[in-house]
Amino acid sequence: MDYDLTKRVLEALHRHGVAYKVFGAVALNLHGLARATEDLDIFIDPTAENIARLRDALRSVFDDPSIDEITADDLLGEYPAVQYAPPTEGFHLDILTRLGERFDYAGLDAETVDFDGVPVTVVTARTLFEMKKDTVRAKDRGDAEALARRFKLGDS
Amino acid sequence: MPVRKFRDVSEMEDALWHERGPALFAAIRRVWDFAARTVQPRFPHGVYRHRSVEEMNAQDERWAQANFDAFHVRRVSRSQR
Repeated sequence: MDYDLTKRVLEALHRHGVAYKVFGAVALNLHGLARATEDLDIFIDPTAENIARLRDALRSVFDDPSIDEITADDLLGEYPAVQYAPPTEGFHLDILTRLGERFDYAGLDAETVDFDGVPVTVVTARTLFEMKKDTVRAKDRGDAEALARRFKLGDS
Repeated sequence: MPVRKFRDVSEMEDALWHERGPALFAAIRRVWDFAARTVQPRFPHGVYRHRSVEEMNAQDERWAQANFDAFHVRRVSRSQR
């Protein structure tokens, strides 16, 4: 993933006042474990106003009319998971408004951390562990084990 | 890279972690740049809507397979030169 592009996207989310929380592999990186990833996963506050701010933030980085297709009707309706792949980059953004019955934006513990000069809201290490530990994907279980060892986490 | 010695495998795992700061940011940049150069992943431009995270993960798997196949083709063609 492109380090500088990721920073630009995160900086734009901050600048446009998007209410979001980073999770997934980028969160793992920001908690201290540098590992390769190809996407930026974000949970967003599920309101139409926030989704409009998200579009504005993305437009400030990418000159791409397809950003208009990221809509509140979808994210607040039948499609709580939307992926955006920009025109030319080897990168995609995964946008969630809910994750099954267990996780939603309001219930995710998060903290604001510095990412090389950019303030980023990221789920806490414990929350990331909780999100990853029961998934079926082997790489997520491996991440959960690494988080558990590093932060001395267990089932609670 | 300097030679690093460990008394136990767990020490090796601990060494992968960094405190947040310049060393971590440099490590992230290094790992992401290496992966991008090696895998050269591509994702077809657009907005993709999913009814569940499982649907989204399935899309991720399709992209991962396509990127792996492209990587494999590049590697084979390079080795045949």
